[in-house]
Amino acid sequence: MLVTIQNHYPMLDNLNPKLYRPNKPGSGCGPPIARVCTIPAPPEGAIQLIGPFEELFVLDTKGNEVEIKEDVKPDIKPLSAKQQKRAKLAETPKCFEVLLPRSKVPDPNAKRNTVKKVGSRATDLSKLSEKRQLAKGILQRKLELMKKDKKLAVEKRKKAQSVRETYDKNIWEQDDLESKGIPETLVDDFISTEAQLHNVPITRRLRSKPPPPKTVVTRAAVEVPHPGVSYNPSFKEHQELLQEVVQHEQKMMKREAHLYRVTTGLFSKVTPKEKEENWREEMSAGLPQPHNPATDPDPEDEPADNEYKAVNPPVRNKKKDHKTRRKQKERLAEREVLKRKKIDKQKITDIYKLRKIQASVSKKEDLDAESRVKRTSKRLQHAATALPALNAHKTPVREPEFVDPKLLTGDLRKISGSGNLLRDRFQSLQRRGALAASKIMMTKRKKLKKYFKPGHKVTDQDVDNFLKRSAAKDH
Amino acid sequence: MVSKKKKKYSTGEGAQFITRKAALKKLQLSLKDFRRICILKGIYPREPRNRKRAQKGAGGIKTLYHTKDIKFLLHEPIIWKLRELKAYQQKIRKARAQREYRKMRQYFRDYPEINIDHVVKERYPTFVDALRDLDDCLTLCFLFSTFPSLKKVPRDQSLLCRRLTVEFMHAVIAAKALRKVFVSVKGYYYQCELEGQIITWIVPHHFAFQPQSKDEVDFKIMSTFVEFYIMMLGFVNFKLFHSLNLVYPPKLTAAFNSETEKDLVDERAYVAERIAAMNLSLAKIAGSNEAEELPEIDIFDTEDKDPQKLEEAKLEAEKVKKLKTMFKGLKFFINREVPRESLVFIIRCFGGEVSWDRDHFVGATFDESDESIAYQIVDRPSMDKQYLSRYYVQPQWVFDSVNARSLLPINKYLMGATLPPHLSPFVDKTRDQVYMPPEQKALNDPNFKPLNDDDPSDEEIEEASDEDNEAKSEPEDAEEALTRQYQQEVEQDSPSEDEEDDEKKKLAKEKKKAMAVTTGVPHKENPYQIQIEDKQAFRLREKLVRKKHRNLYKSMKAGQENRKKEIWLLRKKRRLHDERVKEDKKAEKRTQKKQALEAALNIK
Repeated sequence: MLVTIQNHYPMLDNLNPKLYRPNKPGSGCGPPIARVCTIPAPPEGAIQLIGPFEELFVLDTKGNEVEIKEDVKPDIKPLSAKQQKRAKLAETPKCFEVLLPRSKVPDPNAKRNTVKKVGSRATDLSKLSEKRQLAKGILQRKLELMKKDKKLAVEKRKKAQSVRETYDKNIWEQDDLESKGIPETLVDDFISTEAQLHNVPITRRLRSKPPPPKTVVTRAAVEVPHPGVSYNPSFKEHQELLQEVVQHEQKMMKREAHLYRVTTGLFSKVTPKEKEENWREEMSAGLPQPHNPATDPDPEDEPADNEYKAVNPPVRNKKKDHKTRRKQKERLAEREVLKRKKIDKQKITDIYKLRKIQASVSKKEDLDAESRVKRTSKRLQHAATALPALNAHKTPVREPEFVDPKLLTGDLRKISGSGNLLRDRFQSLQRRGALAASKIMMTKRKKLKKYFKPGHKVTDQDVDNFLKRSAAKDH
Repeated sequence: MVSKKKKKYSTGEGAQFITRKAALKKLQLSLKDFRRICILKGIYPREPRNRKRAQKGAGGIKTLYHTKDIKFLLHEPIIWKLRELKAYQQKIRKARAQREYRKMRQYFRDYPEINIDHVVKERYPTFVDALRDLDDCLTLCFLFSTFPSLKKVPRDQSLLCRRLTVEFMHAVIAAKALRKVFVSVKGYYYQCELEGQIITWIVPHHFAFQPQSKDEVDFKIMSTFVEFYIMMLGFVNFKLFHSLNLVYPPKLTAAFNSETEKDLVDERAYVAERIAAMNLSLAKIAGSNEAEELPEIDIFDTEDKDPQKLEEAKLEAEKVKKLKTMFKGLKFFINREVPRESLVFIIRCFGGEVSWDRDHFVGATFDESDESIAYQIVDRPSMDKQYLSRYYVQPQWVFDSVNARSLLPINKYLMGATLPPHLSPFVDKTRDQVYMPPEQKALNDPNFKPLNDDDPSDEEIEEASDEDNEAKSEPEDAEEALTRQYQQEVEQDSPSEDEEDDEKKKLAKEKKKAMAVTTGVPHKENPYQIQIEDKQAFRLREKLVRKKHRNLYKSMKAGQENRKKEIWLLRKKRRLHDERVKEDKKAEKRTQKKQALEAALNIK
């Protein structure tokens, strides 16, 4: 039988555990059957527990079947942070609570009069004057004026909007001071230029703008067309153009091949067969192999005796004796003397060879000068034609225009447009450095799943058609 | 005391440049606004000399701007306007979110516009500066005038482009400023000269609008460029019209008024309207004189006294003068199959009058039955009804005539004829040291007469002479032999008389020599001597070339020599080839003759 002793003195739980003392057997505290007997004896000086055993202890008949309380959660969602803040908005802030009336004394004047603003209610006088104004026609006039003002405002607004479409002044006619940033109020004959410049507001300070980049200024906006792009070109010019296209294309192909060689081509591909073999080898590592006499170790290779031989035998630092040292020194000295002698001899021969040396030096100088000229000219040419690097993206290179000989009819009516003029302009701006090259980011469209809404008149054929069409659209 | 340590990149190239991100922060603008203001104000990203230093040690390639440029932008009043706009856009967004559509509509109606005309003046302080930069502006405006309303392009932009381009064309017509035309597969290249500035632009062929793929071109940026160019072109037009004594804005056809814009949905109708608008004559300012002719070129004593150059300039001016009135008084009728726009523009530029089929398009001025029409432009192999009083030519004749600066002979351009190639007038004239076969020379210069022309009459003469030669070589004819003998005898007789005369003269001379006084002889310059002296002087001058330029001069001379040699070689080859061909022809003819003779003898 399992007896659990329940504590009927919950207040005791709060007692200091140091003060707990187990009851001694024989003090009438309870039978030893009890698994847990944690009824502490009251400490000296505390409340004396009085009462029979039954009163103190209850037989636990339920055992472990502790009643499971059902958590009845209220069907309210917890407020989000935002909602909590919203809810708090309605409350009076803590800082203002002081200002609220806390007095218990009620307002002695229970019904206060509401004070109206002057003019909000027609007084006798105002009624009279209004009547007089109506009779005189003043009100009528006011109404008309109001209408007129409204019309004027609309016109003004319209005029301000159509400012782009009206070009009604010669902006180059006179030296316009307003364009220099001098305010309108100061543009007058009687105000000296010093005063005008002095009074230029800080927001419109005259600031010099650095000159625009060279590439923008020097490169032509509309490049001279190749004569071969004529709608009716001469044979020679058209061939030249085609030659140009071919050369460009070959260059690109060569470059592509190079790129392939240095990137993808560097790495060998693993064929499926190789992969399979590799896998087999790896998986069978360590397994007992069938005996293969070819792989048997050669009996002749191995030394017959069992003497141990280190792979990397230790080196002994053997000291050199005096004789070897001396001989080494002598050798070194002799070598030095020989070297000196050789140099001296070279000097003498050089004196005889002076003219030859001079000639070679001047030749070298000439060659250097020539190569320097070449390099500078190359650099200058590169600077004149190089594409500006204004961005991590690369500026598109100008490609020669390809005119398909099949489309050349020599007829003005049958010209079929080739190339995109807008793209040409865009890239020309980039090539001149007016725009940084960029890659246009496209926003992806959401893919919508399509359904066929079934109806009573819809046949299977219709559904099939729909599916086919949508599939064709997707691809 | 240690001096304060200088921070890295606080001076020099590191301080000179600023990254785009930093610029955005400094100006407190969004990227969109920054891009817009940069385009409007003409501020471009820079390429530094040393990127590492300019980026303050950071790697990669960043878009850099000049710090001074950004400071300059900082004082631009448009920036304040942009910030205001931002607030305004927020208002609109709010109204939309709260579904107060009436308010939203009101906001849209009162949307503030940014006025940028002060920017035009600031970027182009003089009119000539603006003209110099008109190439890009015109090409883009002509291109945008073909666009329908697109998502990223404001609705009124393309309409305004249409109006302004037509106005500009009118100004070119009135100023007679067009110089060159080139029809390429891409479009029409036009070149005109206004106030001494050469302006080149491209007009696309008129197709139906082709959808542009979005990932190639940033429409927003291009539209911003056009926004500025519209402003610029408007003011340029104003100035041009006033300098030509024309009323601005001109009263064009109804299609260009703002009220009827919405009615012309049909693209074709619009194109027809545009061409009709170009055919109008504009109102002159009251009291202005007729167009004053430019005076003759005065010759000033400049340091450049090369008479050849002066002569060339004079010739050029003469040619241009002729070109300006090339079609004056001529009436052109354009058949309906011919694309009219460029032709109307060109013909009107040089003073011609144009009309077209009244039933098909608006704006025709005279009918096809008009007897005073000089040229009818057709692009079909044949026509049923033809008038005798006019020439029927293909459109290329007009373009080639403009480029040749004179009315070309029409025989190569007649209806149904195979056209000669349309050559580009934009070839570099300075590169004249190239070999040109006689055929090409004839194409470029209509007055060029090749030495051995293919004219039939010439050939006949040649044949005749050949026959003569043959006769000489074959002394079979008895009469011929007789006459020759006679001539020889005569020749033999004559020298004896001459000898006698000579002797007499000699005697007279000797007598004269004996006398003391001689009559004065005017000093005759030996042209050969002069040439030699000139050459020597030139060599001396060559010696005076500075050391700095000597190498360049030398290489230039060597190049010239090389090119000359090449031309000479090619000419020689051509000559030899031609001679060989001629010989072959002759031999063939001879064999034919022989065969014919033999055949005749056999028959006999």
